[in-house]
Amino acid sequence: MSKLGRILLVEDDPRDVELTMTALGEYNLANEVVVLRDGQQALDFLYCQGEFSDRPNEHPAVMLLDLKLPKIDGLEVLQQVKSDERLKLIPVVVLTSSHEEKDKMRSYTLGVNAYVVKPVDFHEFVNAVKELGIFWAVVNEPPPGSMKKAP
Amino acid sequence: MALRCFQPAVTGAIRGQVELMQQTRSRGKAASILLPIATAAIAIGIFVADTLTDLEIAFAVLYVVVVLLAARFCGARALVLVAFGCVGFTVVSYIFTPGGSVVQGLVNTVISLTAILLTTLLALQSQKATASLQEQASLLDQAHDSIFVRNMKGIITYWNRGAQELYGWRAEEAIGKNAHQLLRTNFQVPIDDLHAELVRTGRWEGELSQARSDGTEAIVASRWSLQRDDQERPVAVLETNNDITERKHREDEIKRLNQELEIRRLNQELADRAAEIEATNKELESFAYSVSHDLRAPLRHMAGYAELLQRQASSVLDEKSARYVQTILEAAKRMGILIDDLLAFSRLGRAETKKTRVSLEQLVREVVAEFGQETKDRDIVWKIAPVPTCYGDRSMLRLVVGNLVANAVKFTRIRKSAEIEIGCVDGKNEIELFVKDNGAGFDMRYANKLFGVFQRLHRSEEFEGTGIGLATVQRIVHRHGGKVWAEGVVDQGATFHFSLPKS
Repeated sequence: MSKLGRILLVEDDPRDVELTMTALGEYNLANEVVVLRDGQQALDFLYCQGEFSDRPNEHPAVMLLDLKLPKIDGLEVLQQVKSDERLKLIPVVVLTSSHEEKDKMRSYTLGVNAYVVKPVDFHEFVNAVKELGIFWAVVNEPPPGSMKKAP
Repeated sequence: MALRCFQPAVTGAIRGQVELMQQTRSRGKAASILLPIATAAIAIGIFVADTLTDLEIAFAVLYVVVVLLAARFCGARALVLVAFGCVGFTVVSYIFTPGGSVVQGLVNTVISLTAILLTTLLALQSQKATASLQEQASLLDQAHDSIFVRNMKGIITYWNRGAQELYGWRAEEAIGKNAHQLLRTNFQVPIDDLHAELVRTGRWEGELSQARSDGTEAIVASRWSLQRDDQERPVAVLETNNDITERKHREDEIKRLNQELEIRRLNQELADRAAEIEATNKELESFAYSVSHDLRAPLRHMAGYAELLQRQASSVLDEKSARYVQTILEAAKRMGILIDDLLAFSRLGRAETKKTRVSLEQLVREVVAEFGQETKDRDIVWKIAPVPTCYGDRSMLRLVVGNLVANAVKFTRIRKSAEIEIGCVDGKNEIELFVKDNGAGFDMRYANKLFGVFQRLHRSEEFEGTGIGLATVQRIVHRHGGKVWAEGVVDQGATFHFSLPKS
């Protein structure tokens, strides 16, 4: 039996959330997804604070992070995660519309684990999200301390 | 005889002019004592000889010498006295000379007296002329300008006080020296041209750079005028020089200050312009950034939801509705490509060019190999001439060649047998590369539209494309300091050229 890790999707746009969930749903990965709608919520989740203060302190298997986010943007979240000893082992994948060199450079400098540009074409989009989900939630062995799927 | 020989002597004394005055001025002191004594001695000698000897010649004619010598140190009145003295001596000698023919003696005496009186007259005239010249010379000395005279060999014969003040050489130091050598005159034009003008027109004016006795530079406004003798032969040059060194230096200083101001102004303008460009670039960058982020998201949603609709409702949609959904999907996809192309084009304008030596030959081969694979089912004859190396950004130049070859491949699709030629013209200052095809060609009336963004000369059903390829080519070539142009004939083919500067 495969052990599914939890997927954090940090995305403000409900349509993108729906499309991503649809794509993940095609491969039965949707149940494992926690959707966070801005940078602040993402950090609250990771630090188990605010509305997430009573969640078990385990890391997600991967965080899919949009760059353009309200309140605290994706790059700031990334910087915070990668500069914190407790969080820096969490694999972070930037999932964005931006092709910009600047964003890629900044993300990799901050220590992102992967950078994926959301394709406009829906088939390609579904493929990209599916592959991401399968790789990070199924194929990849997460670092110790990550959430395991409930048996 | 005797009369004829003293005539030139007297006129010579007048002709000596300025030089003579200069000489008398310098030698005057020594002559003032010696000359009267010698003159008196000669007069007495002549008197004794004339009185004691009975020569059958007009011996007293020699008094002319006494008169001429006296003329050099006596005033007019004294000279007349000397002349009368000589006349007296002659008459006394005639009376007391022993023996001889009375008639002969009388004739000789008359000749002698005539000679003495004539000489005196001329000497007086000469003295008068000399005095007036002396007066003029002292006037020249009063002048602030530096004035000197040099003969046709360039030797200085007159030198006024102004010249002494300007150059630091005294008259006795300067006279007899070569003027151009002494003053180390620096001519702006060849000296031969200058002399030619002087001889032709009699004058010359201009600026000269000369050296003072202490070696410092003197810049002068110089006026030359040519003196000619009775036979119109040039004999001397009067050079009047006005010291403009300080004025010149001030002018230079003003010029320098003005230039400095101009440079400062230009620098400021440049800085302003650079700041403006920087601001524009920043704006453009943030524009491109938001296009990249914000415009693509709704597009993705359109495509995504249309796709979902298509899946969800495929069973209930009639054929027409299905086509509508399909068109929405295609349009969204096309817009995605357009945005990507436009963003790439915009990035190109902002990206820095990393220039190195680039082997265009290898670059062309790579591109052709790439397209060869894609077009292996088509009949394309490639003609590739040797291409030299150039200087530029390799990845950008690859885009240029890639775009041109892609166009050639695309527009020859309608040919059974396509021909694509890649050649080069190796010019003196630039390298020109061209890509020629026998494809659809274009109407030269629209040639100016070829390189514009999103400009297309063919309907999209005929040939696909976003209209950004040639705009990209032009932008890259322009950023390399080169040119792009094209020729074409509808339905016969097109040739696209680009040139790159060699350095």
